[in-house]
Amino acid sequence: MIPFWVLDIFAAVMLVVAAASAARLVAARPWQHGMRPAALADIDVAHLLMAIAMTGTLVPSLRTLPGGVWEVVFGVMTAWFGYRVARDAQVSGVRALAGGHCAPHLVHAAAMLYMFVAVSAPAVHGSGGMGGMSGSLSSMGTLGLPFLALLFTLALVGYSIWDLDQLSGPGISGHHSLAFARVPAPGPVLAGVGARPTAGTEVTAMAASVGVPAPAAVEPAGAAPVPAGAPADGTGVLAPWVATSCRIAMGVTMAFMLVIMI
Amino acid sequence: MSEIAAARVRPARRGGPDARAEAARGAPDVRRLLQLVLAGLWLLDGVLQYQAFMFSKGFSDMLAHSASGNPGVVARPIAWDATLVGHHLALLNALFATSQLLLGIGIAWRPTVRVALAASVAWSLGVWWFGEGFGMVLTGDVSPVSGAPGAVILYALLAVLLWPADRPGKPAPFTAARAVGTPVARALWLVLWLSLAYIAMLPGNRAPQALHDMIAGMTDGEPGWLAALDRGAASIVAHQGLAASIVLAIALVIVAVGVYLPAPAARGTPVLAIVVAAVIWVFGQALGAIMTGGATDLNSGPLLALLALAYWPSRAAGRIAAAPSAVADEGIAAS
Repeated sequence: MIPFWVLDIFAAVMLVVAAASAARLVAARPWQHGMRPAALADIDVAHLLMAIAMTGTLVPSLRTLPGGVWEVVFGVMTAWFGYRVARDAQVSGVRALAGGHCAPHLVHAAAMLYMFVAVSAPAVHGSGGMGGMSGSLSSMGTLGLPFLALLFTLALVGYSIWDLDQLSGPGISGHHSLAFARVPAPGPVLAGVGARPTAGTEVTAMAASVGVPAPAAVEPAGAAPVPAGAPADGTGVLAPWVATSCRIAMGVTMAFMLVIMI
Repeated sequence: MSEIAAARVRPARRGGPDARAEAARGAPDVRRLLQLVLAGLWLLDGVLQYQAFMFSKGFSDMLAHSASGNPGVVARPIAWDATLVGHHLALLNALFATSQLLLGIGIAWRPTVRVALAASVAWSLGVWWFGEGFGMVLTGDVSPVSGAPGAVILYALLAVLLWPADRPGKPAPFTAARAVGTPVARALWLVLWLSLAYIAMLPGNRAPQALHDMIAGMTDGEPGWLAALDRGAASIVAHQGLAASIVLAIALVIVAVGVYLPAPAARGTPVLAIVVAAVIWVFGQALGAIMTGGATDLNSGPLLALLALAYWPSRAAGRIAAAPSAVADEGIAAS
């Protein structure tokens, strides 16, 4: 049996993620920007919902919705991110799957859907938990198709590691980087919700910092059009690294849950 | 939401200023990518260590079992460690799991990569002794197919070979040589694979049913398709222990010396090593028995494959050594 306090710690991390995601939504106010608010808010909404669902799974007393409802939620979420990845793929090809912005969220959503759908009934009786499971994860049933759980686990670990690397240095996806954030720039550097960077600002600043010429062209990738008047603030809770950190925490926690339910 | 304002650089022309900018932004560096794979394996190990089995008496029993057959000087500390773990199972196992999780995170987090790699070497050596009884190599009851010389020592070897530093001089012929130099890297490779070949020919592994029993014993708790694969492989090597050991040993010797061959032939060495590692991992180790709920790691197969990738002849390995100032991750590590 896994000690309850271990599960509580992971649940606490998920509560922090949920709080951060909710704070980002409130600060960004995507509903005030008439055009395509879903494209502005989808990732934070996804983080919020997944964190709540995982918290309830880890600690049954914090359960919010029945497993069937979560199945529908994550089914819709998987379809949505599948649609966005498909759109990215039209622009970037297979790179959308490997390094695209929505692919990790698609994997997260699909993993959550799998966890709720594939879990088998527990051997012990009780109440709470996910999809009729009881007690805590330590007394939950196991996941069907364990090889799928293994694949999801590997993907989640891979994305988490990649995010950590990108977050801690000027990687290929420099927009995540804390190193970027330290580079002062005149424009809306590291723009978060609703902010469109001045063309070349980030890359120019970064290139200058390492003594190389800046790339000639910068274009938004996988980005939804940003409505005029959207808050041009990528700092504080809206800083991109906050969302990336949430994603890392969720990826690790999700991998943990999948492994202990195999 | 963080992605909304993401910027992407258009593909840069090779060798031009844009290419240098791309390099400065962290264009794929083979060693960094291998470090990230290593980080992922550590992270996965940490997650596996949280499994319910690890919080049960079965885990401390497993530790104690690694003492059997080892010399007293090796076995006594293992027995002491197993007893200690048994008395404080929840706390210590949570500590073990979290430590491995942090090693993975530390290697992936660029500013801490050196500290984490150094810590991983110390951790690996400790686990190799206290957790794996030196991979049981001193007992003679071990096989490359079952994971000799112990997966965890391969983590330490990889940490050394992927250390983020470059020796001055001409570009290294492969990534593993960048930090320790070509002669040392080749010698480490030779010792490892020749050791595996030697172990494959131990009397216990040459017995007619040795390999069959080993593979067949991996089917418990596995999904049906994997168990069927293992049963099929076991039936192929039934009563063929000697022949199978000879074939395996020959393959391992070829891999061992292959790193000294001229460039075209040397290119085939890591390929053969990866094939051997894959066969061992799928059929001999049942994917590390990760789907049984009792695995502490993925076993040696993926690590041997990762090691082989570090010996892949590559121009990229030399590019970095030739122009260290253009490499972002080294700069990050130095900062």
